[in-house]
Parts: sequence; structure tokens; C-alpha cells
Amino acid sequence: MKANRIQAYLHKLRHRLWMHGLADADTLAEVEGHLLESVEAGLSQGLRLEEAEQCALERFGSVKIVVRTFEKERNNNMQKLLLAIAIVIGLLIAYVDSRPTWDDTGITAGTLLLSSGLLTFLGYRRPWLIALAIGLWTPLYETYLSRNFSLPGLILFPLFVLLIACMGAYAGWAARLGIRKTFHMA
Amino acid sequence: MIGEALKGHLDLLLLAILAEGPAHGYAVIEALRSRSGGTFELPEGTVYPALHRLENQGLLRSHWSVDSARRKRIYQLTPKGQQTLAKRQEEWKKFSKAINATVGI
Repeated sequence: MKANRIQAYLHKLRHRLWMHGLADADTLAEVEGHLLESVEAGLSQGLRLEEAEQCALERFGSVKIVVRTFEKERNNNMQKLLLAIAIVIGLLIAYVDSRPTWDDTGITAGTLLLSSGLLTFLGYRRPWLIALAIGLWTPLYETYLSRNFSLPGLILFPLFVLLIACMGAYAGWAARLGIRKTFHMA
Repeated sequence: MIGEALKGHLDLLLLAILAEGPAHGYAVIEALRSRSGGTFELPEGTVYPALHRLENQGLLRSHWSVDSARRKRIYQLTPKGQQTLAKRQEEWKKFSKAINATVGI
């Protein structure tokens, strides 16, 4: 029987939702119920099974559109919270790094790297934005305090800091994706 | 074009349909289609995220029905949802009246 078409769609949807951290059993059960009911309605109108399935899937929308809509609608609060945490961490790092008694660049860089990585690992979906939110403040505050408007101060130092934050953010994001894929495949 | 315009008013439409009684997603979408004479056609899968958002906002609540052959998630309006619906209906009346007056309908 070609109920496989619905199952294939559900499998793809489950995978894509899961990749975006949006999959939950209730949503998938709800979608499955909807599609099966839609197929039944098609059959009762005299469509053949394949036609009814095709019609149900067309009316439901492509996996891409559905996942995009879920992504827009859900989890915004968590994303906002993680971004706010990133900004606070970035400001703290900038403050500590600017203190005259602090001269351990290695710890500053390590904190930038780890905090960026942790926040994307926890589920923030835009690594570049986390890197900016954490890494922007240190060079800005440094420039403000030192009044150093030379090329290294204005460009090279911010680039260096943002590069470290980006490395951390993308590493965390990749680690999360890798773990999700591994467990999903298993 | 209608699909795009509809998105901005989807919350109002969903609340209005559920004001008539609890319903599961499929029934809500069918009501949306039939009441609009087929004019309001959205990809059906895009309605569920909106229903979930309205539930997260406390405007709807849902439960799973156990009395049918298939499990169904039934949505119903909360008191907050009823208040929001009344407010949005009022806003819509003013808005549509202004549009009608402007375009000369």
C-alpha cells in the first residue's frame, strides 16, 4: 500500500524539525493525524489512494515551508533568552578584560571561545549573531577606554576577537548538530 | 496574494473559528476553507505553528481526545482568547470600515 508516501513525508518532516530542534512527539502525531484524515476525505470523494495521498500532501505544504513556519513561530523566547545571556557575558568579558589588573589574554580568549560555543550548543541557531553579541563589546570598550583609533585598534583587534567568538560559536553549533545527527541515526 | 494577505489576519480567523466551539486542527482548517468559499487557502501545515503559538500565548488550550479512533488534539478558546478575539474583531471592524470608505466600496 502507498501509505508509504505519507510515512516518507512524516519521516522527512521529523528529521527536518529535529535538525532545527523543533521536533516533538505531539506535533508529529498531530500532523500524522491530519494527513491521514485528509487522505480519508480524499478517498471518500472517490479519489484513488495515490491521488488522495498526493492531494493531502500538496494541501499540507512542502516540508520546507512547514518547517520554516514552525521555526518562525516557535521557540522565540528561548532564542531571545540565549541572545540576552550572550550580551551579558560579552559585557562582563569586556569589563573584566579592561581592568588594569587583568592581563591574561589567554583566559579572555578562552572565555570568549567557550561561552560562544556553549550558547550555540544549547540551541541558539545563528552562530554569527552569538559571536557578535559576545565578541563585540571587548574591542568597543577597549577602543573607548584607550582612545586608540589606529588601524590595529579599530580593525585588527575587533577582527581577532570576533574570529575567536565565531570559532567558538560555530564549533558549538557543529557539535550540537553532530550529536543530534549521531543520536538520530542510531 | 490572498495567502500573503491572510497571514496577517490568521490569528483573528483561527480565534473566530474556535469561538464557535472546540475543534481539532483539521476541522479548523476545513472551517477556514469552507467559510471563505475556498478563498482562504494556505498550506495546511502552516496553520499548526500558529495554533501552537496561540496556545503558548494562553489564547488557546488543547487536550488530546481519546474518544475517537484516532487521537486528536482539540483546541479551545481560553477566557484570555475570548477577550483577545473581541478586541481584534473591534479593531477589524474599524480597519475594514476605513478601507471600504477609502476605496469607495
